[in-house]
Amino acid sequence: MSTQESSGPARVVPNWESCIDCGACEVACQRTWNLPPESDRIKVVAMAHGTEDETNKPMQCYNCSEAPCVEVCPTEALFFRDDGTVRVSGDMCIGCHYCGVGCPFGAPQYPDAEVPEAAESEPVGARGNGLMDKCTTCEPRQEHDLEPACASECPTDALLYGTPDELSEKLAEDGVSTPFNDEAARIVFGDDADAVMGEGP
Amino acid sequence: MTAEIVFNEPITEWGWKVGVYVALIGIAGGAYLAGYAADVVSYRRGSAGHGAIAKWAYLVGLGGLVIGPPILLSHLATPLRAMLIPLTMTNLGSWMTIGAYMLGGLGIGSTLMFLWLAFGTERPHARAAGRESAVADGGRDVASDGGPARAATGDRTVGGFRGVADRVGLLGAVDSVADVTRPSEKTRLLLGALFGVFAAGVLLYSAMAYGEGSAQRVALWEKTFLVPVQIFSGLGVGLVTALALAAVFDRTPGAVLRTYATAAVGLLGATALALAATVVLLPGQRPAATAGVENLLGTHALAFVGVSVVLGLLVPVALLVAAVLGERRGSLSETAVVSSYVTAAALATVGKVTLAITYLMAAEFAPMPLPV
Ligand code: SF4
Ligand code: SF4
Repeated sequence: MSTQESSGPARVVPNWESCIDCGACEVACQRTWNLPPESDRIKVVAMAHGTEDETNKPMQCYNCSEAPCVEVCPTEALFFRDDGTVRVSGDMCIGCHYCGVGCPFGAPQYPDAEVPEAAESEPVGARGNGLMDKCTTCEPRQEHDLEPACASECPTDALLYGTPDELSEKLAEDGVSTPFNDEAARIVFGDDADAVMGEGP
Repeated sequence: MTAEIVFNEPITEWGWKVGVYVALIGIAGGAYLAGYAADVVSYRRGSAGHGAIAKWAYLVGLGGLVIGPPILLSHLATPLRAMLIPLTMTNLGSWMTIGAYMLGGLGIGSTLMFLWLAFGTERPHARAAGRESAVADGGRDVASDGGPARAATGDRTVGGFRGVADRVGLLGAVDSVADVTRPSEKTRLLLGALFGVFAAGVLLYSAMAYGEGSAQRVALWEKTFLVPVQIFSGLGVGLVTALALAAVFDRTPGAVLRTYATAAVGLLGATALALAATVVLLPGQRPAATAGVENLLGTHALAFVGVSVVLGLLVPVALLVAAVLGERRGSLSETAVVSSYVTAAALATVGKVTLAITYLMAAEFAPMPLPV
């Protein structure tokens, strides 16, 4: 099923209430794209660190509508595709880490692994050599009507995939919210923020 | 319920090299602007003493640009690609792009202004050998212009940049290039003003490299507070460094240098006040900055309070004040005055670099409240 026609681009968004911190998403991503070990296109990170509420949840690139990374990138290595998703060009990145400081979600990665001609071997990301790499929403899988590997392999359906319309439907069905506060939702969903966030419990 | 995500801190993204780069380009931009002001004063008053400050300040600007940007390049994954600036730096909305072009303009400007002041038989502000210039410059005019310049300053042969050019056999050639390319004084100063726009841009960029709009998730780098800190410190450290070099190589402290020492006291003092305002007022205005300010005053107190503020600002201010007053009252020897200027400049430079690195080390990403 292609989801590109709806209001905004299709994204993976976590439903944290369902996450059991099993790490299946990390494994699925690494295996599917044969990533260097230090590459974390999706990463289970610690939240409420050091408190009794401490928990671990998955975070990745949300292909923000108002992407701060695109704004700060000096070389336009980060750019919006026609479908509204954010991509990095391994041919243009200089590895300055500006996007790493600008992204509110810790999504940019800079794996040092030597990947000769990384751009050619992985056209939708940079993968290694100290250049910026991030989640590509499994673009090549989408071309075969497959969901991103992480969402597809999550055992508890804690990673929802869809356009803003589809996400708000799924969230309402499950009676859960996105993990975003208003500011984060505005960055991720742009004009669709109210529609998506309004459907929470 | 809210929670925080634990991500990498800014220092893990940028490391110390970005701090050194930010400090050095700030000094370069500040030195150029201070030098240009001295250049204009020198032109108006016909004073070689002010011209000497201008010349050394342009050289400090050049030095900051020769050292700083290569350090940044060594931090990048693809330095060679980054150097193809017109091809790579295309997002004019990014301060890193704006900064790259500003640095290029300032590099050209510092080189030309220094060349035109320091080389050539017709160079402006040159002192005639053996001529006393006590009235204009408050001191005996010896070893001027940093080296031998036989056509304009007689046959004295001393060290400095002209001496270096002489030793490598390039003095004649560089002098010729300077004389052939140098425009009229008015045009030179007009061009200098244009390059000054680049210098001001670099000074601002030395703040915006940290405080750019979208990097506002680091509350400690709030630009309302950071911009004054960077502007005052860049101007102050640039000026005091030029002052120290002029004092060492011209060996005539005198009234003119006292004027610049007093100006440097004002600028370094303003930096201290801007930092005090940051630690006192910023947490109230942006609560997310509280952690960063606490880091400055706690974990990194030795670097921030000890090195950046006390050794890098307050001690240089005290040394400059003591030198100015001591020289005016005749209670300090020339050597003591020059030593004070040099020590103040060295400490202020160390303080400026430490400040930029400490601002990186103490910074934390503003926590994003998340319902879990
Ligand atoms: S999550 Fe980060 S890397 Fe991804 S689009 Fe948003 S700002 Fe850019
Ligand atoms: S690391 Fe690469 S993608 Fe990120 S801001 Fe720098 S040039 Fe752009």
